[in-house]
Amino acid sequence: MKGYHDIAGDGGSRILEQVVEKQTRIADGLAGVRHLVAVGSGKGGVGKSTLTLHLAGALRARGLRIAILDADFNGPSQARMAGVQNAVFVPGSHKLSLPRTVNGISVFSMGSLIPESKALEFDSAVQGESHTWRATKEFALLGDILGSCEWGTLDLLMFDLPPGADRTVQYADFLGPRTSFVLVTIPSEVSRGVVARSVAALSKGPNRVLGYVENMSGYYCRECDAIKPLFDSADASALDIPCLATVPFDPELARHCDRGLPLELRDTPVGRALDHVAQQLLHRLESTTS
Amino acid sequence: MKFLCVPCDTPMKLQTVVPPDRGSLSVLYSCPECGYEIAMLTNAYETQVVQSLGVKIGPAGGDATQTASAGGCPFPSMIPGNGDVKPAGAGETIPIRWTAAAEARLTNIPEFVRPMAKTGIEKFARDRGSNEVDEKILDEAKEFFGM
Repeated sequence: MKGYHDIAGDGGSRILEQVVEKQTRIADGLAGVRHLVAVGSGKGGVGKSTLTLHLAGALRARGLRIAILDADFNGPSQARMAGVQNAVFVPGSHKLSLPRTVNGISVFSMGSLIPESKALEFDSAVQGESHTWRATKEFALLGDILGSCEWGTLDLLMFDLPPGADRTVQYADFLGPRTSFVLVTIPSEVSRGVVARSVAALSKGPNRVLGYVENMSGYYCRECDAIKPLFDSADASALDIPCLATVPFDPELARHCDRGLPLELRDTPVGRALDHVAQQLLHRLESTTS
Repeated sequence: MKFLCVPCDTPMKLQTVVPPDRGSLSVLYSCPECGYEIAMLTNAYETQVVQSLGVKIGPAGGDATQTASAGGCPFPSMIPGNGDVKPAGAGETIPIRWTAAAEARLTNIPEFVRPMAKTGIEKFARDRGSNEVDEKILDEAKEFFGM
């Protein structure tokens, strides 16, 4: 009697073929993207999304072609912050054309599709068992987005990841070894501890971890034009990966993010810090790319 | 998963799929040698596993009646313009026609984006005094929105 491997094909269901077709479509769609960079942490509330958007802005200001994929499907915030919450999606000649920020960054965020009054719920054949298949659904969705958006020719496609050290590794697995990681922490031992777990988890795979950004390293007082302390972290230990830069918190920037309005950051400590992150990021990407 | 007709030692071929009914798919296979038929009846968990992959199940080249769409919009009830979720600007009564070429472009984009894309483009067309969406309107919209 024949065994599984003696039979070519699958009798017509083409499930494996369709999965391979999807993977090919993703690879083709990303062929024009020079670098894939995922911004993660493991810890929630450290400013990953804000940093992603404004780091993208700093890279854009250097003349690079940038897109952001908001991969936090359950808490998408890029749509609001980037000002594309009510964007019009236009079918391109073969794929979906993406809305852009005023400074020309393409953005895909579920926040442009699903009102903030709703939580993302997948339709299911099984009620009350979402924990058994939710991740598969989310990654199938991510694959659909990657394969059906017009990414075109980009210098960087940045992924704004959801929190969770385990999730960070799942995204690394899904996005593959082409994707480099930047981790975000804040000057607290709790945050560093969680991010250290992400570093440890990522170190077991093939993805490059370019370094970390210490966000909210003090706050920028516009009245005094000075950086003031926000956390008491004088003797905090550093993570075992390069520190790309420290970025102070700017309450004015937070206000603008809430409204989806751009803020001119040039000649401010925050702007200079973000430009330094951009410079370090590019330097490390180029120096580790064959 | 593959099915083997044991008496003929021949792989069975998928014939047709009955779309999910209360979480169960019915998938009919037959033996190309002896014509013997079997049906694989999935439970809701098994159906969910396949649906989570976002693939379609059915014979190659099969039409909609032979294919169970396990792909499509994974959250149809949440998207404005789908079902009872009204998009902004809903209530417009002037019907907008889509040319075949424009409609084809719409089908190239993810199913969960289509309702919003359709609504937005139709508003764009109306604002320009057009009651038709063609490829020219789509290209104008791309340019207008800086894409």
